[in-house]
Amino acid sequence: MFQPIGDAGRAALVERRIAEAITGGVLAPGTKLPAESELAKLFGVAPVTARESLQSLRDRRLVVTRRGRNGGSFVVETANAAEFGTRALRDMSRVALRDLAAHYLAVTGACVALAAQRADPSEIMHIRGRLDRFTGNDPLVWRRLADDAHLEISALSQSARLTREQMRLQAEFSPFLALVDASETDRDRSRSQLLALLDAVSEADSAAATSLVRESITEAVDRLIDRQAELAGS
Amino acid sequence: MTAEVTTVASRAVSAVDGYFADALDALEAWQLDIARDIAAARRSGPLTTSRLDELVAPYARQTLDTPGISVYGAGFIAALDSLADAASHLAWWQGPQRARLTLANQAINKGNIDYSELEWYRVPMLTGEAHIAGPYVDYLCSDEYTITVAAPVSIDDEFVGVTGLDVLIDTVERDLTPRLVKLGSAITIVNSAGRVVVSTNRRVATGESLRGDGYRDAERVPCVRTPLEIVLI
Repeated sequence: MFQPIGDAGRAALVERRIAEAITGGVLAPGTKLPAESELAKLFGVAPVTARESLQSLRDRRLVVTRRGRNGGSFVVETANAAEFGTRALRDMSRVALRDLAAHYLAVTGACVALAAQRADPSEIMHIRGRLDRFTGNDPLVWRRLADDAHLEISALSQSARLTREQMRLQAEFSPFLALVDASETDRDRSRSQLLALLDAVSEADSAAATSLVRESITEAVDRLIDRQAELAGS
Repeated sequence: MTAEVTTVASRAVSAVDGYFADALDALEAWQLDIARDIAAARRSGPLTTSRLDELVAPYARQTLDTPGISVYGAGFIAALDSLADAASHLAWWQGPQRARLTLANQAINKGNIDYSELEWYRVPMLTGEAHIAGPYVDYLCSDEYTITVAAPVSIDDEFVGVTGLDVLIDTVERDLTPRLVKLGSAITIVNSAGRVVVSTNRRVATGESLRGDGYRDAERVPCVRTPLEIVLI
């Protein structure tokens, strides 16, 4: 009871940051995590807090700890972003999925509407430039690029609150969007949707920007629900 | 432009320049020192992120204590690919606890955070001059609506990073608006993209862009030391 208030929450916070990095594919399978004491220092928490979060990550089978000379904590070799997404989708109820999408849409829609009023076209050009430079076909790279672009558009709303909310929801929703963008054709379609959104924001067309976001989310949810049904059948 | 208008605008210029001069001076105070420290550290071995953190920490503390302006975050951002053990690094302290910034992927797999196109990095790097970036939502460091003041650091001709400090727009509004209100007429401060930083006009919101017909004929006067503009609306 004499543990500083907030420290209990801190272990969960450290756990969530690392878990998101693993499930989102930022930390690759097999990556060695820093030692407990180092991890504590990095996140500015007590060593006991770091130990607790590592334990939770082990319990969730995201991390394995090996003893010995080449020991330490590692991201599990089977960590695969698509797999995590698929499992989460299978375990989620349809009502929860639709609710998550509704929340995501409400926030992202508000962000793009404000961004359309407030962004300078030069700022949109920077985002577009990065999308244009992407030529590869790596789904993980594409997902991160698309997430970054959505975050940057949201930040152009000039609202710190909405941007923070968008970031939080994106971390939750992005693994599902990755499932929608599984094939190259799907990614091409997402890319055109994103480019159309950038055009609308650049042209200060709030209404068009909002409805483009609504269309793409609605379409994504339809396809996720189809996928969910397939998973249940298999 | 009437004489009266000119006087108000030039007083506003002094107020805005004076306010941000404290921030610019605070960074310029260690721009050369950190270059010297980095050069010395490189001579004794490869420069790592943790060594860089040690070098920057005292300067960041000093910057967070800058008199006259309440600084939210401060530190040094290394030039991309300039360190031995990471592609990018922010040696940054922020918030009431002055906590060192930890980004999960930066901390664990030394992942590359590409800040090459962000205004506070790009402009000082390209111009070789200090810059005031924003207002913008800083989703990398503070997650707040912020202005970042940044100054380039070079060793001989090699760009090695930027020193920087964040001031929350909330703070700028509290500090600057009362000084502008005293000048009597409506004054709006905008950045080079026409985005409102603060305004004494209750109907002009921070963050909005001054575009369109209503604003085209407004008097505009550029500041001298900062890339901001005074608009009399």
